[in-house]
Order: sequence, then structure tokens, then C-alpha cells
Amino acid sequence: MAKPRPPIVKRSIYTWIMGRNTKLQLIVLVLIAVTVFARVLPLEMQKRIINEAIRLSDVDLLILYCGIYLVSVLAASGLKYLITVLQVMISQRTLTRMRKELFAHIISLPLGYFRNTQPGLVVSSLVSELALPANFVGMAVAVPVINLLTLVAFAVYLFFLNAWLAALSLSIYPIVVFLVPLLQRKVNQANKERVDVTRTLSDRIQETISGIHEVHGNAAYAIENDKFGSIADRLYRIRLRWDFFRASIKVSNNFFVSLGPFLIFILGGYLTIQGRLELGALVAFLSAQEKLYDPWKELIEFYQAYQDGNVTYDKTMRYFDSEPEHQLVPPDRPPLQLDGHVDVQNLAFITGDGIRLLDGISFELKPGQHMALVGFSGSGKSTLAQCVGQLYNYTDGHALLGNVEVRELTKKDMAWNMGFVSQAPFIFDGTIEDNLLYSCRAAGNEGDGAGDHYQPSLEDKIQVLHQTGIFVDTLRFGLNAMLDADRDSALVEQLVRVRQNFRKQFGETLANYVEFFDENRYLFHSSVAENLLFGTSRRRDFKTAALAENPYFIAFLEKADLKRPLMELGAELARRTVDILGNLPPEEVFFEQSPIAPDELDEFKHLARQTRRLRLHELAADERHKLLGLALRFSPGRHKTISFPELLERLILEGRSLFKKQVTEDYPDAFAFYDEGEYIFSQTIQNNIFFGKTKTTSTKAQDNIVQSIIQLLIEEDLLETIVGIGMQFQVGSKGDKLSGGQRQKLAIARVFLKSPHLLIMDEATSALDNNSQARIQNFLDRRLKGKATVIAVVHRLDIIKNFDKVAVMKAGKLIEMGGYEQLMAQKGVLYGLIQGKK
Amino acid sequence: MDSFKEKNSAGSTCEFQQNLEILRQIEFFAGLPIETLKIFAYLCARETFASGEHLYSADDDDGQAFYIINGQLELAYDIEGREQTIRSYAPGEFLGGLSLLAPLRRLFALKATQDTECLVLSREKFAKAIEQFPELVPRIFKSVADSIRDWDQQRLFAISEKGLSLEGSVGISAI
Repeated sequence: MAKPRPPIVKRSIYTWIMGRNTKLQLIVLVLIAVTVFARVLPLEMQKRIINEAIRLSDVDLLILYCGIYLVSVLAASGLKYLITVLQVMISQRTLTRMRKELFAHIISLPLGYFRNTQPGLVVSSLVSELALPANFVGMAVAVPVINLLTLVAFAVYLFFLNAWLAALSLSIYPIVVFLVPLLQRKVNQANKERVDVTRTLSDRIQETISGIHEVHGNAAYAIENDKFGSIADRLYRIRLRWDFFRASIKVSNNFFVSLGPFLIFILGGYLTIQGRLELGALVAFLSAQEKLYDPWKELIEFYQAYQDGNVTYDKTMRYFDSEPEHQLVPPDRPPLQLDGHVDVQNLAFITGDGIRLLDGISFELKPGQHMALVGFSGSGKSTLAQCVGQLYNYTDGHALLGNVEVRELTKKDMAWNMGFVSQAPFIFDGTIEDNLLYSCRAAGNEGDGAGDHYQPSLEDKIQVLHQTGIFVDTLRFGLNAMLDADRDSALVEQLVRVRQNFRKQFGETLANYVEFFDENRYLFHSSVAENLLFGTSRRRDFKTAALAENPYFIAFLEKADLKRPLMELGAELARRTVDILGNLPPEEVFFEQSPIAPDELDEFKHLARQTRRLRLHELAADERHKLLGLALRFSPGRHKTISFPELLERLILEGRSLFKKQVTEDYPDAFAFYDEGEYIFSQTIQNNIFFGKTKTTSTKAQDNIVQSIIQLLIEEDLLETIVGIGMQFQVGSKGDKLSGGQRQKLAIARVFLKSPHLLIMDEATSALDNNSQARIQNFLDRRLKGKATVIAVVHRLDIIKNFDKVAVMKAGKLIEMGGYEQLMAQKGVLYGLIQGKK
Repeated sequence: MDSFKEKNSAGSTCEFQQNLEILRQIEFFAGLPIETLKIFAYLCARETFASGEHLYSADDDDGQAFYIINGQLELAYDIEGREQTIRSYAPGEFLGGLSLLAPLRRLFALKATQDTECLVLSREKFAKAIEQFPELVPRIFKSVADSIRDWDQQRLFAISEKGLSLEGSVGISAI
């Protein structure tokens, strides 16, 4: 590995220019040298064409020079393209590298840093702010070198043609160099004012709008108009000034540069008339002079890009200029394997402003001992747990894990030896399994080979699901999954057998919870489409998502008198849903009962407006299809925002038998109609077992249902298979498809799976019901005692009896410590706390 | 049992609108704008509980609030195995608002003494929705503080009317 580089926030923008880009930049330099030559060559040819070929009337020479001219123009264009491509490559590579390094740096910063940092700022820094610096890095070699070289080459060439004339025409540039920065400063000044005033203006608008009832109440329109008007006028003046200076840079630059030819005509024409300058040289001079303009312009643009890039880079890096408190990975040794011996001596944690959150804490835990930390809220229990777990750095004293100072350990050492479950654990987007493996993967990665024991088997995973009580939840996710006709055909027969046994054993008891598929009844917990088809399509164009655009199906709806009523239903559904959910963020909790998915919301907002403005037949064809499609998803048992007309219910029931008859004649193979002896691939496993759908969303009822199914699955030896499918359930962003309790159980499970020597649980079971909490406590007592050291911050005092030690904290100090019985007999603070609870 | 059919023949108001009407009359939600109530009405679920079924038990943190549509609920406390009734709730009553605001372990148990239908709102949904309207949080706090004060005042009047000693019985609003 290369020697450690300084952290990204300590590096200047210039270090990015070469570094890993050196090779590319060198190629660029070579290409530039050739390009400059290829740019100057045509000028010389131009001169020779006039002076030699035309004057001597030599066609061969003419063709030769023109040929060279053409080749060099082609070469110059081609090379310029290559250079641009390389430049873009360098800038994009740099951008990606800056992003990765800055991201890695930011997430390694201590927790305290994030208390004062808005996530939005991190997002904008990583997403948009770095683009300007990277753009500059891409240009940094190519643009100044090629343009300066071109300028110099042309200038030298001009001097070579005629020194006086050259000096005269170049004399313009110093004026521009002096003038442009001067004007630019004015532009910057005006720009700054513009930003400020725009901000004031938007504040003003916000204030007026949020106080609009007061404005109406007082009829204070004129006052508000005046306030707004004066700022708008100020903005107008500033914008004028800004635009004026911007325009004047452009104009004066253009003006001075186009003065060039004028000077050349005057002096050059005079010299030519006098015979002291050849006509060819004059033409070449004019061309060269004109060509000075482009590189000049690019240099000025480069100057601006440099300013923008540099300022943004410094600002961004300065913001994140903090240091991680611990090394992430030990550079020169494998991570340590420590036993669970914890020795805390005189530990203190004092905040930056001198508040003593922990003071003089000492205790010792032998490997495998369990300690409960109790005390009033704010007494420092969590802080102590976090200091031992290296989440916060203690400021004084010692915390030894396996006789090594925790402060000196790297993050990797901690990950190998400690599992931490926080009060508000975070679950990441991905499957249940991804989250279950999160801690193991984190401890085992980096390819050092030594982490291989963090590769749990399926049995291990299922075991921790049991231990933490999330097994049934996972099973339920599995039951709610759909099987793939190609992949899972082996399962299908068994599931149909489960269905038959289910009917026999539970058909009657669960009839209240389940709406069985019945050809002669409307299914209120199924969609309109399911009610109409009452089967699964075998053809792509008859899949539910495509139905609303299928001409055959639309013609059928027309025939069944369903098209307009359904479109009307769709319109009503769109209006209602948009009305309620229109301004909410795309979170699962808001959209789980909505027929419209979050990413369709904007489209349906527009549609809802359209239906208020126009009659249904006036809508565009694709808009009508959208409404029809929405209506086909409607399931009255789930979508409670509109009522379901009884007439429509009857029409759909009639449509169901009409459709079956018609489609069996026209496309006999297109559908598999629901049949108790067949597996239905368009329905979930659970619906297949029921041959129906659940009516209830209550978790209690669902638990009853699942409990009845478990036995049947065990009989068919399907339990683990279905749990395996359940582990593939996508938990959604931040795990928002899970309940708070499920998230907490999953967070405990992922740490249990790692089986660390030290387990720290910071009120880890606070969101769990009594049974789940007891189950986990039981596991700690029976299975982990003597194997893993446990420090548990405990809020509920009824679960601490079986801990080896109980530590009572108050105001940052440990005031009592000992066995439960001992402390109770002592009738001290713990005794008082428990009595107080009773 | 197709409850949708019954509702449809009874009238054309959908469950959402009925929920909205109910929420508008609940003190706890008083003062919240209709736009917010719409979201709560949308997030509410109707659940039925069989007679004798527990809605929650002591020490649970179920995080739910209930509005009784029909049926009857009873709050009970277990003293050494003997269940003592604290009070009962009739249709139209709302309970559990406090546990919407923060994790809260139940002191009592709540069970249905008849087959009961409730409108149920969970803390998780309530919290997600109120996150969208942070400016409303002070109003919710006020409504809770008001109801504690009102309750204390009612007890104060009731007890002093009976001429009993006030000591230890009132003063909860002084917390």
C-alpha cells in the first residue's frame, strides 16, 4: 500500500492536478505541443501560397501547400477533440475521487461532529459543490498551457513576420489585462449584492404569505405592496448594474481585440504600399492576429473557473476539517482478539464546555459477567456505555477491554470484539438478510482473510431470528411474497397440500379474518382487476399493469358497460388521493394504503387537475388509460378514501362471468382461472394457502393467522424455506417498512449473529413488548452468561434480577454497585428506586 | 360479512369521511387544521375486538389511541391476581392520546366487555404525520396540558363539593 496521504480536508486543490492524474496530464501536454504546431503551420502555408504559389503561378506548389494546410487543420481539430476528451476524463475522475474520499472522511468523523451538522449540507457538498473544483482540475493543465503556448507561438510568428507591427498589435493586450479584472471586481460586487437582496426578497414574500390572514384582516394590501415593491426596485437596480458590468467586460474585450486589425491595416497597409512588407505577410499577419482572440477568451474563462473552483473547494474542505478520533484499521497488524474482560478506572467524560457527564467511574467485569446500568434519566448511563463502546472518547481515566486501552484501539479492533445495540438503532435499505449480516460483514471485510469466521450459515441466521423473536415477522414477510413460476415450481405442490390442510383445520375458525376466493361473490379485499379476471394471465399483454392499454380488454369493458363508470371511479380516486397525500414525502407509512405509488404522484396531481377542468371524453387517450388503470387497482377493503357504488359491484360481478366466457372462446390459453387445486402465481404464498385474502390489518389477528399456518408448514417441512424467502424482504429506506419493534429486534439480531465477546445494549429492548423483552433477557441469562460480557443500560427495573452486577448511577457518578440481592438487602438507592416504582 | 356493502346501502359516505367527522369532534385533535386531520383520518384503522379481548395489558407499550365507535371498553388494574375495574368507556369516547406523544408503559389493562369496534391510531403513524407539521406540535402540547388541568379541576370541584379532604387526591396539574 502507498504511504498514508494527508486527509482530503488538509490537501490543497493543486494536489489533485497531478497525483493520480499525472499520466493523463502528461499525455495532454504532448498532445498540446503537437496541436500548437498544427495551429501555426497553416499561417505559414497561407503566406507561402500567396507569396510563392500564386505569385509564381505554380499549381504544384499550390496543391502541396494547400494539402499541408488541410492536413494541419484536420490534425489541429482532431487533437483538440482528444484534449477535450482527456480533460473531461480528468475532471470526472477527480470529481469521483474527491467524492469518495470526502465521503469516507466525513463518515469517519466523531459522533459529536454530527450534532452540529445538517445532513443536507453534507449532501450538497458531496453532490453539487465539488463539481466546480473538479472542473478546474480538469482544465488546470490543458487550458492554460495550450492557450498560452498558442498565444506565444502566434506572437513569435508575428514578430518573425514584422517586429514593429507585432509590437503594435500586441500592445492592446496589456490594456485588457488591466481592465478586465477591474470590471470583474465590479461584477463580483454586484453579484454578491444580488444574492443578498434576493434573499431579503424571498424572506419578505414568505413573511407576507404566512401572515396573509393579517393582511386580509386589515386590508393592508398597499402596505405590503410597498414593502415588497421597494425591495423589488432595489433588486432591479442591482441587476442592471450587474448586467451592465458583465456586458461591458465582453464589449470592451471585443472592442480592444478588434482594434487589432485596424492598427494592422493602418500601419501594415502603409508598409506594404511602401514595399517594405509583402502582401502575403500582411494577410498572414491579419489571420494570426485574429486567431489570438480564441485562446485569449479561453484564458479569461479559465481565470474565472480557477476563482470559482478554488473558493468552493476551500470553503467545502474547511467545513469538514475535523479529525477522526480513532484509526479505522490497524495498519501493521491484524485486528486484536480480546477477551471480554472490562476494567474501568476513574473514568471521566467532560464536554468541551466543561460539563462533567461522567466522573470518577470505576468497575471491573470478568469475561462473561453481566452488568445492568440503572439510574435516573440523565445520570450518564448511556454515556458510560458509549464511552466503553468507543462511540465517545472519555477525557480522563482508563477503560480497558482485554487489558488494552479502548482509546488506543482502532475501530476494526472494536468491531471484532464488541457488539453495540443503541437506543434508536438504524436499519438500512436492503433486505432483512442484508441488515442481519451488516455487523458481520463490517467486521469481516477488508480482505484480511482473518475475518472469515464472520460468515454465518443459514442455521445461524435462523437461530438469531428465533433468539430475538423476529422469526415470526420474517415468516410473515415470506408468506407475503410471491413465487416465481419458473424458479419455485417444486414448492408449489406442497403449498397446495398446505392449502387443503388449512381448509380442513382452520377454515371455520379463521373465516372471520379471511375472504375466500369465491367465483360468485365480489372480493372486497382484491382489486377491481382481480375481481374481473378472477385468474392469472399467462400472456404479457394481459398482465394487470398492461390491462388498461390492452385494446381487447378495453373493448370488453365497453361491452360490459364498465368503461365509463370505472374511469369515473379512477378520476374520483385520483382526486381524493392527491387531495390527502399530495404534499407528503414518499414514505411507506403514507402510501401503504394508497392506490397511487409515490413516484406516480406528480403525474396523478396533473391528472386530478385535468379531471376538474375537462369532461372524461375530453381527456387525452393516455390520460384516460391512466385513470382506468388506477380504477383497476382499487380495492375497497384497502383504499378507504372513496366509497364503492353498489351498482358497480354488480356490474363487475357480471363482467367477471362475461369475461371468462369471452376470453375462453377467443384466447383459450391466456388465463388460468382461480381453481382450488392449482397454485396461483399472481398471489402471495399466504393468499394461496388461504385461497383467499386476509381482511384485517391488525397485527394481533395476523399473528393468530400465522400461528395457525406455522404448524402446517412444519408438517410439510417448509418453514425454513418460507423464512428464507422472508429474509429477502426489502425493508425500505431507513427500514420504514418495519415497525419500531421489528427494527429493534433486527438490530439486536445483527449483533447476536456476530457473537462478540463484549455486548453493550443501550436500552436495546425499550420498544419491545413484554414477551419479546423477556425472550431476549432469557437468552442473555441462559446462553450468554459466562460466554460474553454484557453491559446493559436498563430502564425497566423488573428485568435486572439475574444480572451478576447492578450499577446505580446518579449525576455522572457510580453511587452503588453489587449483586441485586446484596443491594436490595442494603436498602440503599436501588432499593429506593424499586420501591418508588411500586 | 361484507361491511362495505352495508355502508354503501346506508349512504355514500366512505370510511375516510366518517373517520374525519369523528376526529373533528375529539378534544385531543381540537385546533388542528382540517388538512392535518385528513391525514390522520386516512391513517386511522378500524379494528374490532371480541368481548373479553385485551386491547393492551399493564406494562405494555402498545402506542395506540382508541376511539370507540360501538361496544364498551373497561380499564382494569390487577391487584394480586384480583382484577379491579377502574372505569368503563362508552361509544364516542377517546382514550390513549398521551401514548401517541411518547413511549409510555400502560399502568392499567384495557379490555373489551362487549364486541367493540374502534378507530385506532398508532404512535408510529401519528409521529410520521406530525413530523410533516412541526408547527402544530405546540398545539398538541397545549391540548394535553389543558386536559390535565381540566381533569384536575373537575376532581377538585367534585371532591370539595362532597366536603372530603383534598390532600393527596388532587394537584396532578402541578407536575
